[in-house]
Amino acid sequence: MKKIKIIEVNGLTKIFDNEVRAVDGISFTVEEGEILGFLGPNGAGKTTTLNMLSTLLKPTSGTAIVNGYDILKDPDAVRRSIGFVFQDPTLDTELTGRENLDFHGRVYGLKQDVIKERIKEMLEVVQLTDRADALVKTYSGGMKRRLEIARGLLHHPKVLFLDEPTLGLDPQTRRAIWEHIERLNQEKNITIILTTHYTEEADYLCHRIQIIDFGKIVALDTAENLKARLQGDIVGLTFKEPAEVLKIRPLLEKIEWIRRIDAVAGENNHAAMGRMMQMMSGMPEGLGGMVSGPPSSSNDFGSARIPRQVKENMALGMTGVRDQQNLHEATRLHLLVDNGGHRIPEIVNLASSSGVVLESVDLHKPTLDDVFLTFTGRSIRDERGSFAETMRQRRIIREARG
Amino acid sequence: MVQPLSGQAIYVILLRELKRFWRAKARIIASVAQSFFFLALFGLGLGGFIGGFRGTTYLSYLSPGIIGMSLLFGSVFSGVSVVFDRQFGFLKEMLVAPVSRTSIILGKILGGAATASIQGILLLVVAGLMGAFTPTITFVIGAIASLGVMLLITAGFVGLGVAIGSSLTDFHAFQLLSTFIMWPTFMLSGVFFPIDVAPQMLQVAIMMDPLFYGVELLRWCLLGAGTPLLGPFGWLIALGVLGGFTAAMVGIGTFLFSRAQV
Repeated sequence: MKKIKIIEVNGLTKIFDNEVRAVDGISFTVEEGEILGFLGPNGAGKTTTLNMLSTLLKPTSGTAIVNGYDILKDPDAVRRSIGFVFQDPTLDTELTGRENLDFHGRVYGLKQDVIKERIKEMLEVVQLTDRADALVKTYSGGMKRRLEIARGLLHHPKVLFLDEPTLGLDPQTRRAIWEHIERLNQEKNITIILTTHYTEEADYLCHRIQIIDFGKIVALDTAENLKARLQGDIVGLTFKEPAEVLKIRPLLEKIEWIRRIDAVAGENNHAAMGRMMQMMSGMPEGLGGMVSGPPSSSNDFGSARIPRQVKENMALGMTGVRDQQNLHEATRLHLLVDNGGHRIPEIVNLASSSGVVLESVDLHKPTLDDVFLTFTGRSIRDERGSFAETMRQRRIIREARG
Repeated sequence: MVQPLSGQAIYVILLRELKRFWRAKARIIASVAQSFFFLALFGLGLGGFIGGFRGTTYLSYLSPGIIGMSLLFGSVFSGVSVVFDRQFGFLKEMLVAPVSRTSIILGKILGGAATASIQGILLLVVAGLMGAFTPTITFVIGAIASLGVMLLITAGFVGLGVAIGSSLTDFHAFQLLSTFIMWPTFMLSGVFFPIDVAPQMLQVAIMMDPLFYGVELLRWCLLGAGTPLLGPFGWLIALGVLGGFTAAMVGIGTFLFSRAQV
């Protein structure tokens, strides 16, 4: 069967406030029936790209063809061709599941009998038939996500955009959502573009992965090929104190058989929680402002809605792409070497002879996490300035969107 | 590019607002109760002290103003909520649908106006039960006409809310909105005292308050007379100003909403 190009992106660029290049001249194509994942840290430009492809945001320059229609010249036709499941929940929780779907169908101009039929079909696909007439506020997180996916598919789009489809969901629910997405793709041949910062999600679901960082595509390939690019083993070194890392790193950099060194923030949960609390307390506009906002005359802020930034930080702390911003706090180093098993004794010797206390040493084959680190890691970040600078940029982007 | 209006989309969003409103009974009760406290405290309490009031009771004089207050607060917040709805809510999903933003926002304005007006009607009934109005044929006709006035007032202020909401980027600004727009608009609308007794400076400020004309119109409808300052055809002037305000606000709100990006 001939592969059809369903999306062609050409030099797509978005600059916010004349200074922040959220998306920087990206070009790629997507074939019909493909699941393409955008993998990248927060603020890398994933969501901005989706917003442009779905005609929500006008590109600063460049364009894209979706299902044969130009996003600039024929936005309505593009909108009819796509479904979108947003990162922030966009269900009306005061309505029932069925009403949410019904309203969606009506706005897309479907006839009542068609809507009824499709609602029935979609509820079965996402297994929500028995809860269809309950108010959405009584749904669990996973059920809400499934309902949103059903809604995004109600008008039979050719392409479905999923922005962080499993953000904040527990591992079991996440897996269930993955299976739904996979089935939709296989049974209905729907092209799916999703963004994620969970490497395991990209690994499991996506036919091809596009790593985005600072608005640019830094890699686009299958997970296997990406991993194969990092030949060798990863030797992980864990230290008690960040100071030890600073001490040993220059020594390691002199060794020629170490092909690459990446600093990784500590993996233990205490550190992650500490970081998270720090971020929460440091962002009054995010948490405080939103929760104590205006009286919720039309929205349910109260009901356990956590601001996006906090959710992302939580997710970052627990799993997924490691936090590379706090380099000076890193207590772990990843070394890319050949024959890792044989190199460990030498590394341990070096550490003890230079008086550095190693807490543990481990060895693994390169994972997508390591690939990610390689493409977006230290070498790129170090040039771009501090953690505070990154946060500031993100805030600008967020506000510019508002 | 001009996209056509979609009656279907307007209807869907209006329907959604009504459904939500109907289900949030606790909120309706709280809102009506708040206005009821104003009526009881000032109308009966202060009214008892003042006694007769220009051929009517103070409660009667006060009622249209308190209805106006309820309309104001209900509609501005409904308008401002559009921003949140668009960023974190249901409306965001609507924005990727193949319908124009103008249709979406007109539906939202209609919905906000309808729900705020329903609260106004409930308050009208409450005030009636408290004895604020004399149930004559003229009153019944006036009360029906007041429904149109309520829709006009609320559509204007939902439009204002949408315009403000679409231009705000900072959540803290909502405190300012309440202090510097909502309260002055309410206090200067001639709710508590007839403006002809006020000093001239204050009169000028009151004349610049769009809600003043709304409250004036409600008084004409419900009590059969307005302030002598605007003359015997004061209702016509009030209708003109209010109509102009509403048209302008719906226009500006629609424009600013359509222009803003995600």
